Amino acid sequence: MSGEIRVFAQYDRDIHEACDVVIVGSGPAGAVVAHEAAAAGKDVVLIEEGPPFTPEDFVLEGSVSMARTMREGGLRTTRGGFFMPTMQAIALGGGSLVNSAICVRSPDFTLDAWCEEFALQRTTRAELDPHYQAVEDFLGIAPTPDDVQGPRNLLFRDGCTKMGFSSEPIARNVRGCRGSGECFTGCRSRAKQSVDITYVPAAMRHGARVLTSLQVQKVLASGRRASGVEGQVVRPFTGQTSHRFRIDAKVVVLAAGCMATPVLLQKSDDLANASGAVGENLQFHPGVALMGVFLERTHPQFGATQGYQSLHFLRRGFKLETLWAPPGVLAVRLPGFGFDLKQNLARFPYAAIWDAIASCNRSFGRVKARRGTLDPALTYAVHPDDVKIMGEAMWVLAQIFFAAGATSVLPGVHRLPDEMHSLAEAEALRTHDLRASDLTCGGNHVFSTTRMHGDPSKGVVDEDGRCHDMDNLYVVDTGILPRSPSVNPMLTVMALAHRSAGEITRRA
Amino acid sequence: MVPGMWVLILLAALAALAFYRFLVGYAAPPVALSVLAPREYATIAAASLATYPRGGAIEPSGIDAGIPAHVDRFVAAQAPGTRVLMRLLFVLVEHATLVFPAPGKGGFGRFSGLSAEQQVRYLLGWQRSALLPRRLVFVSLRAILTMGYFADPAVLRALGLAPRAIVTPVGEADLLWPRIGEPPSAIRHRAQDVTPPAAAVPLGYEGPLHADYEAPRA
Repeated sequence: MSGEIRVFAQYDRDIHEACDVVIVGSGPAGAVVAHEAAAAGKDVVLIEEGPPFTPEDFVLEGSVSMARTMREGGLRTTRGGFFMPTMQAIALGGGSLVNSAICVRSPDFTLDAWCEEFALQRTTRAELDPHYQAVEDFLGIAPTPDDVQGPRNLLFRDGCTKMGFSSEPIARNVRGCRGSGECFTGCRSRAKQSVDITYVPAAMRHGARVLTSLQVQKVLASGRRASGVEGQVVRPFTGQTSHRFRIDAKVVVLAAGCMATPVLLQKSDDLANASGAVGENLQFHPGVALMGVFLERTHPQFGATQGYQSLHFLRRGFKLETLWAPPGVLAVRLPGFGFDLKQNLARFPYAAIWDAIASCNRSFGRVKARRGTLDPALTYAVHPDDVKIMGEAMWVLAQIFFAAGATSVLPGVHRLPDEMHSLAEAEALRTHDLRASDLTCGGNHVFSTTRMHGDPSKGVVDEDGRCHDMDNLYVVDTGILPRSPSVNPMLTVMALAHRSAGEITRRA
Repeated sequence: MVPGMWVLILLAALAALAFYRFLVGYAAPPVALSVLAPREYATIAAASLATYPRGGAIEPSGIDAGIPAHVDRFVAAQAPGTRVLMRLLFVLVEHATLVFPAPGKGGFGRFSGLSAEQQVRYLLGWQRSALLPRRLVFVSLRAILTMGYFADPAVLRALGLAPRAIVTPVGEADLLWPRIGEPPSAIRHRAQDVTPPAAAVPLGYEGPLHADYEAPRA
């Protein structure tokens, strides 16, 4: 291997290096660009603030795992109208290390709407499909086979079939999945093809230098040209800083994530913000979930973490999925207290949890830099029409549960019964005057804070991810999506990064 | 006496009362803690037992499950800013009885000093409150306690949810970096250790448990 990776224990002095392309953030998008640029012969430095994890570093207990792999210890939330936990990873491989490996192409109607509403010319099905295909081939993305689905995923399939809703096994970047249901704490089977064990080593084979535990604090720029990045070494899990570093580069690529990239630009003298759109237009896929209780054991910890999905209602604004996570994390949504709570927890072995992620195209928020920290201030409010869509999604999930044989569902919605035993009772999910504050949501898909727009006065980057205001500064993370991709964003942002990589390589 | 003197005396009395209420009278915790103070331990221990009493559908109580010690580790694992927010949450739960008193005699007292029944009714009041911020405080507290409850292997075993043993294959990436905190010289694997990827054989329901989750031998 001609490249190298450096870890915290190796830093004993300030660092000053130069390269053709410096990439900030080693998540799915950054890793793709690193690989493509290195494979094209460019001298690449990939910077990651978090550490690389070995399987021995994974912790199965949910809260400790979150504290180690997520920014703000996994306790980051939105404020300003809607309180919602949101998790962003801090690790080599970014979110791919701890997500459930879902890979879905954005639908035609979404790409068409992006082109029409955001003055884009080349973000079409025909243009993007080769890039989707390249990523899918590289990672071996394939539908989840039935033998690792486990009962809770197959019950979802059966319920959808009975209701006449389309469903399909989720395509995932895994090879040799054993159905341990541990995607969110790191794959002990090494089956998940997260980018830390795929694209990053591949980039290193082409000579890329991977510097972990470096926190980029500023993009260096003059006029329309970026000249590099600077910041400090940080000790894993502590935030303690030590030596300083500076990397000079011909091209700077920001892939720090939809929250961190706008903060970095704001902290860099409000760079690339002639449009005023940096940090604006924040969008989420708020997720709601229901637990269904069955008569037979479901063995819910066995089976692919998220193995089945329904795209039947995408045009209505939501996607349905199966779900598993560390029980302590899932239990947070359950109703009850004291003995009642214990009674509900004891139903886990007979339960399945299915969720809906909503596009929420009418709901917006903002990312703003805070003094003295790179952690963002997040505000977000959900539009009442989007709340209705989430209510409808929960109603559909309840129908699928009862069709699959559930005896009751636990919706976890304030002002509604803790448990619903029939469709008639569950209809309240659709008919009740739901308020955003009634819902317990999580929002881990985030978009649009540095959005792509054909009009430089309305967006931050062009269709190659280049900042309109700059000649050699690119953004490639989910912040560039003009709005919700309607489905899980990882594959789409990797395809876009694959496309950007060609232009970045030419520019360097 | 000078009129301003009365104000000073009043302030001094209030300060003494606040000192007594917030800091005095907490017993030493029965377990060694790394970051939590005795007063925080008292709050968490009381909330643990109110939320997870002994018996019922799952036998261990919140104390049996070691929730306070887990919360101590969880708080210690957080960045300083987040740690402050979590500790403020514990202070709020302990002393919000001044604003939302527990039902019954002495309801304005510290949460950890209330009777067991009052503690339950006090927390239920937060859970069912029409005020969103109160509900959020409850949800946050219960989330921390619940994650601690499920950190106990005995709870997971009781539900049949304990992780299974898995043999982790060795891949190319395992030759590239060491465990977190170690230098590259500590990388355990060499090229000859690389194994074929795992076969996609589903884990069996009855497979052996992960070593950390096995029941202690009698």
